[in-house]
Amino acid sequence: MLDTKLLIEQNNQKRELLTQENEKYYSDMLLYIRLQWSLSEQQSEEILMELLDHLLEGQSEGKTAQQIFGADPKAYADEIILQLPNEERRKRLPFIAGLVGNLLGWFFIIRGVILLIAPLFQKQEVNESFYLLSAIIIVSVIFVIILFSIRIIFKIISNSLFQEGKSRETVKVGLVGAVGMAIILAVTYFLPDFGPKIHFPAYASVIIGAIFWIVSRFLEKKR
Amino acid sequence: MTLRSQLLKGIMDGCVLAVIEKEPVYGYVLSKKLQDIGLVDVTEGTIYPVLLRLQKKGFIVGEMQPSEAGPNRKYYYLTSEGKEELELIIEEWDNIASPIEKLFKRRGNNA
Repeated sequence: MLDTKLLIEQNNQKRELLTQENEKYYSDMLLYIRLQWSLSEQQSEEILMELLDHLLEGQSEGKTAQQIFGADPKAYADEIILQLPNEERRKRLPFIAGLVGNLLGWFFIIRGVILLIAPLFQKQEVNESFYLLSAIIIVSVIFVIILFSIRIIFKIISNSLFQEGKSRETVKVGLVGAVGMAIILAVTYFLPDFGPKIHFPAYASVIIGAIFWIVSRFLEKKR
Repeated sequence: MTLRSQLLKGIMDGCVLAVIEKEPVYGYVLSKKLQDIGLVDVTEGTIYPVLLRLQKKGFIVGEMQPSEAGPNRKYYYLTSEGKEELELIIEEWDNIASPIEKLFKRRGNNA
């Protein structure tokens, strides 16, 4: 069976052969199905490819997407989604681990770099320690906010499909991002220091960040 | 939904399995064959949710291979479980089709 990345690539190429009307119909359906993050990626891409092949063959006989898949693309996509199996856990885990690793990696690298260049701009000594419990709470808050924002944004995009005019969605997505950021900043600012104090020098932060980043890249590649 | 498509919905699994039993096909050909035997107003797309469901139940398996025209297509094969299911569907169909047909035929005689 063809692997997922190859299927996605072929899909991108074949989609260009669609007429404008069919492309709109199909692309909305494609986005809507791909946004269902808990479904098996491989199975989703396979059925999307079958639908595209069918549409292309129909198109060459002068049929439209509406004639082939019906007048209600959302209802049709929902029927497909209902039958698609969920992603296996063993495939989902490296994906999530990769995301978490990537995020932690950047987190540590940025912290390290800031600590390294801060002395260039200020006279007083830089604080290279942090408080364990406070740090754990802040990092968890960031993760929860990110996951939550992604889900809301997926929902917003999903709702915007299959209709004309999408100008409001950009504003909504921006708002979700701004609110999330505000919560993270507020928590960071108001949370008191507690838990054991740990000395974590700048260079160590950069090195550990780099390790997290490389491991997450590796997990992503292996997928 | 029209009356006809409602009636068809329940028996669609059987129709699809019967076509695949005769020879492995991919989606587009399957929809063509269904139309050829006279099921003309089945919206072509309806076969895909059916194919996914039958696959999930293990009645058919899909395999990517080159089509007659050249490019790769996903061909569906009937499994032994699929064959059993098809026989069951046909049996059930016979159980309801003949009494209902008798019932409907009777109308003309009474009138």
